[in-house]
Amino acid sequence: MAFTIQTVVEEQTAKMTLAGELDSLSARVFQTEIEKIANQPINELVLFMEKLDFMSSAGLRVLIFSKQKVGSHLSIYIVKAQELILDTLEKTGLHHSVNIVDEYPVL
Amino acid sequence: METKSFPGTVDSLDSIREYAGQVANEVGLSKKPTYALKLAVDEIATNIILYGFERVGMEGTIEMSSEVVDGKLMLVIEDAAAPFDPLARELPNEEDLTQTLEEREIGGLGIFLTINGVDEFRYEFKDGKNRNIFVMNLE
Repeated sequence: MAFTIQTVVEEQTAKMTLAGELDSLSARVFQTEIEKIANQPINELVLFMEKLDFMSSAGLRVLIFSKQKVGSHLSIYIVKAQELILDTLEKTGLHHSVNIVDEYPVL
Repeated sequence: METKSFPGTVDSLDSIREYAGQVANEVGLSKKPTYALKLAVDEIATNIILYGFERVGMEGTIEMSSEVVDGKLMLVIEDAAAPFDPLARELPNEEDLTQTLEEREIGGLGIFLTINGVDEFRYEFKDGKNRNIFVMNLE
């Protein structure tokens, strides 16, 4: 399924809704979205992943890139990721560096 | 063993994953190993396309085939790019995987996920071609 991403920036939070399949082709689109917010005073990056069906290491690299590009103050939230994508985050240890949540704002 | 051929460009990744998914369905793999196989195939195909073809300005194809041998699914990817053994690269270790995102190096995760996801992964260079072999035990 084709990858789509929608970004909304509200105050210091960037919310991105990802859907479809995130591979090394679509990761270029994701990275471009991150680059667009990199120069803004963003503290939180919220990624809604309920409809994201696939994520390769290219997607993981954009997560790493976003923290390195925006800065260590950036908190990343991953909302409602599917089980197999969570599995990838856990295997690669990235779950230690992001906040995995069922809803946002976190109650 | 039917062989399918895909242009060696990132636009093919979707179809390459679809082929892996179809093969997995045909042999009755469940959801989790099917996803793991698609992920492994995507990672290796990405490396072939980006480093075997694009980086050196070479146009090439990715040939995929599969068969069941002794209760195991063998999916094979072949390409005629320069010899490249994915297993020769050092994998991220436990320490790398617990580093914070700020400290992380950006490479190596794809091969790690490949090896981690399939029951067996083999590489050989034969008749002038790279052969990446993914083995999944059938339930």
